[in-house]
Amino acid sequence: MQPTWQTPRPALLWMLISVVTALALHAGHLPLWLLGAAALTVLWQIQVYRGAWQHPARFIKVLLTLLCFGGVLSSYGRLLGLEPMVALLVSGFLLKLLEIHHRRDALVLIYLAYFIVIIQCLFEQGIVTGFVVVFGVMIVTAALAGLYQNNQNTQNKQTNRSGKLGTWFRPFRSSAVIIVQSLPLMLVLFIVMPRIGALWAVPKEQGSGVVGVSDSMSPGDFSDLGGSSKVAFRVEFEGDIPAQSTLYWRGLVFSDFNGRRWSQSGSWGYQDGSLLQWYGEKPEPWDRQATRRGDALSYKVTLEATNSPWLFALATPKPTSQDVALTRDFRLFSKRPLSSKTQYRVNSWLDYDLETGGLSSWRRKIELALPEGFNPKTRAIAEQWRQESPDPVALLNRLLKLYNKEFIYTLKPPLLGKHTVDEFLWETKRGFCEFYASSFVFFARAAGIPARVVVGYQGGERHPSEDYLLVHQYDAHAWAEVWLEGRGWIRVDPTAAVAPERIEMSFADLFGENEDFLAESLLSLERYRHINWLNNLRLRLDALDYAWAKWVLGYENVQTDLLTGILGRLDPLRVGLFLLAAGALAMLPVAIMSLLGREKKYRDELDKFFIQFCQRMERAGIARRPGEGPRDFAARIESLRPDLADQVSSLTGLFEQQRYNTAVLNKRDLRLKLRRFRPYLRSKIP
Amino acid sequence: MSSVKKIADILVERIGAILIGKDQEIRLALACLFARGHLLIEDLPGMGKTTLAQTLAAALGLSYTRIQFTSDLLPADIVGVSVYDRDNGSFEFHPGPVFSQVVLADEINRTTPKTQSALLEAMSEGQVSVEGETRQLPQPFFVIATQNPATQSGTFPLPESQLDRFLMRIKLGYPDPVAERQLLSGDDPRKKLKNLKASINEATLEQIQAKVSGVKAAESLIDYIQRLLQQTRTLPQLDNGISPRGGMALLQCARAWALMDGRQYVIPEDVQACLEPVCGHRLSGAANDQEVISLIQQILNSVDII
Repeated sequence: MQPTWQTPRPALLWMLISVVTALALHAGHLPLWLLGAAALTVLWQIQVYRGAWQHPARFIKVLLTLLCFGGVLSSYGRLLGLEPMVALLVSGFLLKLLEIHHRRDALVLIYLAYFIVIIQCLFEQGIVTGFVVVFGVMIVTAALAGLYQNNQNTQNKQTNRSGKLGTWFRPFRSSAVIIVQSLPLMLVLFIVMPRIGALWAVPKEQGSGVVGVSDSMSPGDFSDLGGSSKVAFRVEFEGDIPAQSTLYWRGLVFSDFNGRRWSQSGSWGYQDGSLLQWYGEKPEPWDRQATRRGDALSYKVTLEATNSPWLFALATPKPTSQDVALTRDFRLFSKRPLSSKTQYRVNSWLDYDLETGGLSSWRRKIELALPEGFNPKTRAIAEQWRQESPDPVALLNRLLKLYNKEFIYTLKPPLLGKHTVDEFLWETKRGFCEFYASSFVFFARAAGIPARVVVGYQGGERHPSEDYLLVHQYDAHAWAEVWLEGRGWIRVDPTAAVAPERIEMSFADLFGENEDFLAESLLSLERYRHINWLNNLRLRLDALDYAWAKWVLGYENVQTDLLTGILGRLDPLRVGLFLLAAGALAMLPVAIMSLLGREKKYRDELDKFFIQFCQRMERAGIARRPGEGPRDFAARIESLRPDLADQVSSLTGLFEQQRYNTAVLNKRDLRLKLRRFRPYLRSKIP
Repeated sequence: MSSVKKIADILVERIGAILIGKDQEIRLALACLFARGHLLIEDLPGMGKTTLAQTLAAALGLSYTRIQFTSDLLPADIVGVSVYDRDNGSFEFHPGPVFSQVVLADEINRTTPKTQSALLEAMSEGQVSVEGETRQLPQPFFVIATQNPATQSGTFPLPESQLDRFLMRIKLGYPDPVAERQLLSGDDPRKKLKNLKASINEATLEQIQAKVSGVKAAESLIDYIQRLLQQTRTLPQLDNGISPRGGMALLQCARAWALMDGRQYVIPEDVQACLEPVCGHRLSGAANDQEVISLIQQILNSVDII
């Protein structure tokens, strides 16, 4: 095929820069060979442009297409899913670069580039990503502008004598101007446009590299709790932040133990109504088993992406956000797995009673179940203790005292064999929260006290300047809940018995100086928290990130209140009208600026005066023709209305002298003189 | 500067007595001369082109030669030639007809481009190079070329780049009925020409030429001219707009025009009067001259003075 159309040079440059930008944005999750292919296609396109190489023949293109398909398949093992799809799109995008024969091909490439740049938001939504994506859009727009610049060139050759660098940069300049001009409109759309839920779900890699609380717990399997400095969630309280030792963020409740692993009990066990009670729907029968006393503690949680549906809240919660449910064990549950940062509101009653009315037999069975053939020693000792002191409270206190006396809290416990609880309780006696929670619940169950393991987070870091609580991944914690006759479920934290400072101080304060703590993240700012200014910097950055999450990513949650505040009531007509009005208002400065740019002529007092004079003559039936000079106009008036001659000639004479000759009068005199003419200008011509 | 106005009026009156009914064209020709430009007169044969040129030279008291351009005219026929002098034993330069203050190049488009360009070099440089020697032409040097409309057969139309060397192009056109009757009833104008006395001398002419550049062009007038030029560049009917050189020529002519009107400053009317003669031959792309004239009128009507 013969190329019939030559890409304008600046457009080509910006197209190649767009390709590189789009690729660079996605470099993190594209296979390496695709980046190599990108370099090759860019080189090819440059060589074609220089005339050194040919456009690839048809069979080569077919071959390359097949190769890309094969490459994507072999890299990911499948075609469905977000990442393989993006890789496929990018490879198509690169191949398109090889066959730009017409302007329409270049347009396809540019539109694809827009799409690819924006897709980046599916992977990351941080503040930096936001700005990078806008910058990418700017570059792609520059390519688009460059594509149409050629026409402009032929139109006004004369004005187009800027330097060589200027021609290269002009597309970017116009693109930047376009983006800046559209900023107000973007803002309006952001603020007013109703958020429509996703029309389709994007399948994202499950749990890929996201650390957090997992849906099961097996103490003794891994022996190194290094801790990650990543933020788990941030909480903004309406009132004061409660004491550190009361901040138990419940995430999951494990009632099922198979000897090695704690996990949630199957839903088949429950018999009183639905397991989930969605916000806004009528309470399930089991909700009556919770007694909430006193004032609710209101707060807003901004949870990082976890790819699981568990939400965290203080006991006993009640959700106040859409799509959040209260579960049967009084935790919170999200309708969808959290693939991105999510915000939800909760009311919690710290003073509560749970299931005080007694446990039904099937509930008791679940909370007392122990696997056969595991930890015989513990079971025997528990039985023995129960005989010695039938009071469960005394029994549990005895166990806690044992922990306090003989156990050591460490992040690097020894590995455990088959009977994890036996080995831990009677041999190694070293471990972290999971070990204590697991052994405590096992012991309690063995002594006939219903108990369960709760995992979540404990405590958090108060942001010194912004008023919110920062909970990190290393604040992850496991504790126990036991059920006592007449008192219901009670939280017991066996770790507190071993290392009370773990609960009262934040985890980082406690282990900050420890070599092992955060050993894996040398570059983490968290690691250097004892250096004051670095710590300040870290907290500042976090505040910024939180503000972004709250006001930009989580804007949906604020939007309804904000709009209701302005409009009174939300209905399509009001929102539409408001959108139009606000859009018009936002574009007004842009319009005014461009109008001013055009009208910045010599519309001074003198010109206005002359225009006034012309208008007056027009009313009298003698309109100045466009382009007619004052002298000609005066002569024409004179010939048509000789009676007006004197005034007209003195007026036009003044104008001509003042305008085209050296200004005879200074500004003040001129103003005075013009004022003298004013009554004349206002008077009607007979 | 009423003296310039007086001189101009006298000149127009005297020339007008011979070339009857063409006062406006005479004024333009004078303005062109005062602005140190060369004049192209384009019209059909017998419209008084030669008469105008002769009368101008006579009235201004300048030396005058006429070159009749034909298809076999050679550059040497214009600039001159060195002839071997047997007595002296050396070559002696015989200046051609171009060594004159007013040169009438009659029917310039009848000759070959090679010969045309010999004259055009003289016009732009004010000098000629003959056999490696540069010779200055007398001052003031004023070329009045006449040409038949290019549509006639046997012509070599001047290319745009060479048309640009002429400051103005004017057309004489048929005389109006009154003038024509007067012309028919009177004597042969060429006879009157012999009795015409010079109204000014060289020195006065140079003074006037020097004054032209001193005429004030206010900021808003410059702006007006610029907008006119811009407009010529955006019209879709035209391939090319007016070049910056064309713009400077327009301003210079408007200055001369203002000076002849007795003013020390330019007003839009001066520019409007000069626009068509100065820019008409510089605009190309339109089908014919008539169209160019209507386009220029359109430009004048669409660009306001303020």
